[in-house]
Amino acid sequence: MAKTLVIQPVSRIEGHAKITIQLNDTGNVDTARVNVIELRGFEKFCLGRPVEDMPRIMPRICGVCPWSHHLASAKATDAVFGVTPPPAGAKLRELCNSIAYMEEHILHFYFLAGADFLLGPDADYSVRNVIGILKAAPDVAQRVVKVRHMAAKMLEVLAGKAIHPQAAVPGGFSKPLAPAERDQLRKMADETLDLAKFSIAFAKENVFPKYLETVKSLGVITTGFLGTVKENGALNLYDGKARLMAPDGTFEDFPYDRYTDYISEHLESWSYLKFPYAKKWGSFSMDLVKPSGIYRANTLARINVCDFIDTPLAQAELEEFRQKFGRPAQLTLLYHWARLIELLYNAENAIRLLDDPDITSTETRVKVTPRAARGVGVTEAPRGTLIHDYTTDADGMLTNANLIVGTTHNNAPINMSVTQAAKSLIHDGKYDQGVLNTVEMSIRAYDPCFSCATHRLDGKISVKVDIVDAEGNVVETLAN
Amino acid sequence: MPETDVSVLPEFCQKPTLVLGCGNNLFGDDGFGCEVVEYIEAHYEVPEAVCLLDVGTGVRKLLFTLCLSPARPRRLLILDAIDVGRTPGDVFEIDPSEIPAVKMDDFSMHQIPTSNLLRELQETCGVEVRVLACQTGPLPEEICPGLSAPVKSAVPQAAEWLMREYLAGTGRPPRTQLDARRNEEAVNPAACVEAGRA
Repeated sequence: MAKTLVIQPVSRIEGHAKITIQLNDTGNVDTARVNVIELRGFEKFCLGRPVEDMPRIMPRICGVCPWSHHLASAKATDAVFGVTPPPAGAKLRELCNSIAYMEEHILHFYFLAGADFLLGPDADYSVRNVIGILKAAPDVAQRVVKVRHMAAKMLEVLAGKAIHPQAAVPGGFSKPLAPAERDQLRKMADETLDLAKFSIAFAKENVFPKYLETVKSLGVITTGFLGTVKENGALNLYDGKARLMAPDGTFEDFPYDRYTDYISEHLESWSYLKFPYAKKWGSFSMDLVKPSGIYRANTLARINVCDFIDTPLAQAELEEFRQKFGRPAQLTLLYHWARLIELLYNAENAIRLLDDPDITSTETRVKVTPRAARGVGVTEAPRGTLIHDYTTDADGMLTNANLIVGTTHNNAPINMSVTQAAKSLIHDGKYDQGVLNTVEMSIRAYDPCFSCATHRLDGKISVKVDIVDAEGNVVETLAN
Repeated sequence: MPETDVSVLPEFCQKPTLVLGCGNNLFGDDGFGCEVVEYIEAHYEVPEAVCLLDVGTGVRKLLFTLCLSPARPRRLLILDAIDVGRTPGDVFEIDPSEIPAVKMDDFSMHQIPTSNLLRELQETCGVEVRVLACQTGPLPEEICPGLSAPVKSAVPQAAEWLMREYLAGTGRPPRTQLDARRNEEAVNPAACVEAGRA
């Protein structure tokens, strides 16, 4: 009898995903679906607001990636007003972006995805807590703790506060960096670079080799990729042009404001969240053998689309990565490896920006004047290409707004990776909690943002598996 | 942990008392915690030893940082919205240690439950953790800022309790317009959470 396995958080409000694995009559996987809750009502909320309010409000969308929304929104307002920030303003924004990235990637590798590798997918979940991971790898933890705190402190110095940033404004950055502050940050930046170098060396020696077979097999799919590059093809996470790469490695570049010429959105009846796809590649299909139109964003995508990295240590790592895995690399768990290359790039980039004489200039912003216009602001959020698209009237009030967050680009690939993982692990109706945890690993690699729509203290998430028969009766429940 | 220069730590790690207003003020009553912080900043003088922050939906990252930090506050108060089936506008305390521990989804930092991190801070890191919650009305499914009337009226009451009772360390429970009933009820946080799930 066909059964449905459901990995479902108990509370819906915190915007997580429900995973449904459908078994057929022989106990093998038929399909798998990841159903997420989308942030709704954004456009309606924006209408009639002064566009200059947006960089201030947008960090509230997500408490984990506020800097990404803040900067993409500021860039969209630049475009609406038709201005270019002065060099210091742009470089201060990019510096904040690099530091926020480092904080993010350190956390993700060591304490989220890293736990998969340090403790193993079958580890007792009672030790998959923060202190448990610290105890499992105390020497590593000491270094990580200090640098992570430094990154938070650096953002405080640069932007006045680390939470709900408001320092990026239309036309630039509100607060110049004093020379004494720059010197303080420069010392901290050296320590972040040390940790970045240590992290990738540690992972290549102790982590990735141990799980290479899992890396080669878990959640593996074949897709294209979307990311940002500079005019010369170098990796950039703050500004540049979009590059859409097909599975065979050919690519097309386009300016951000032409994204609708390249990306369409597909709808499925069982999901609120749309499925962006590359419309020039044909129709949309998530078939594992013959996918169509599917592309991925996030760390692996950016590493794939760039021609090179213009910082020396990260470039050396990229060359080694490509020697091993080719270009484009398709193995889903390589997101973690790519994340560490980005960590290294951001550390080098922060030092480069702090050493740039422009960074302490007091000319950090230009004046703006309202006008009727459309402006598209894009940054590479840690989770993928983030698009803020605003249209204003002659008074600078919003008449239209659209938002595509990084994880939305990965909606179809996440579904495909979960299907692939489930099919490879579940046979003849046999599964256990370890198998299900491994399926979760295929999602965790994408570091998804499933909307911070609301946050409730009692919204603690319990992962529960209901095995449901064809009549909808719960046959068995697995839960930790 | 080795000796760390405290000056490299963020402010919220350094002060002895930390108060965090949590929630998303784009979604109706979910913004209760943030509104309380804004109210206190507008109507009271916050003591020097207190770090008061509106952390919005970013509380997990901050708690994560606290768990790892070599220096932490002695006391932590969370201000948050909750739906456990009480009367909208009710303000009450929840003890994190009484919330049952279950396997927590951890696809990303977006999913790590706040309750897990609070328990770690309390049980492993020795921080006194208290949670002041307010029962919400129905939460909007789309972006819609603004508190409902009963929750809005609870904001000054929560602020007063925080400034007069919590910071003074009197131990008196929070009060709302349902004062008499509040003082007579024995609050069982675990039951509240279970009721909220039902």
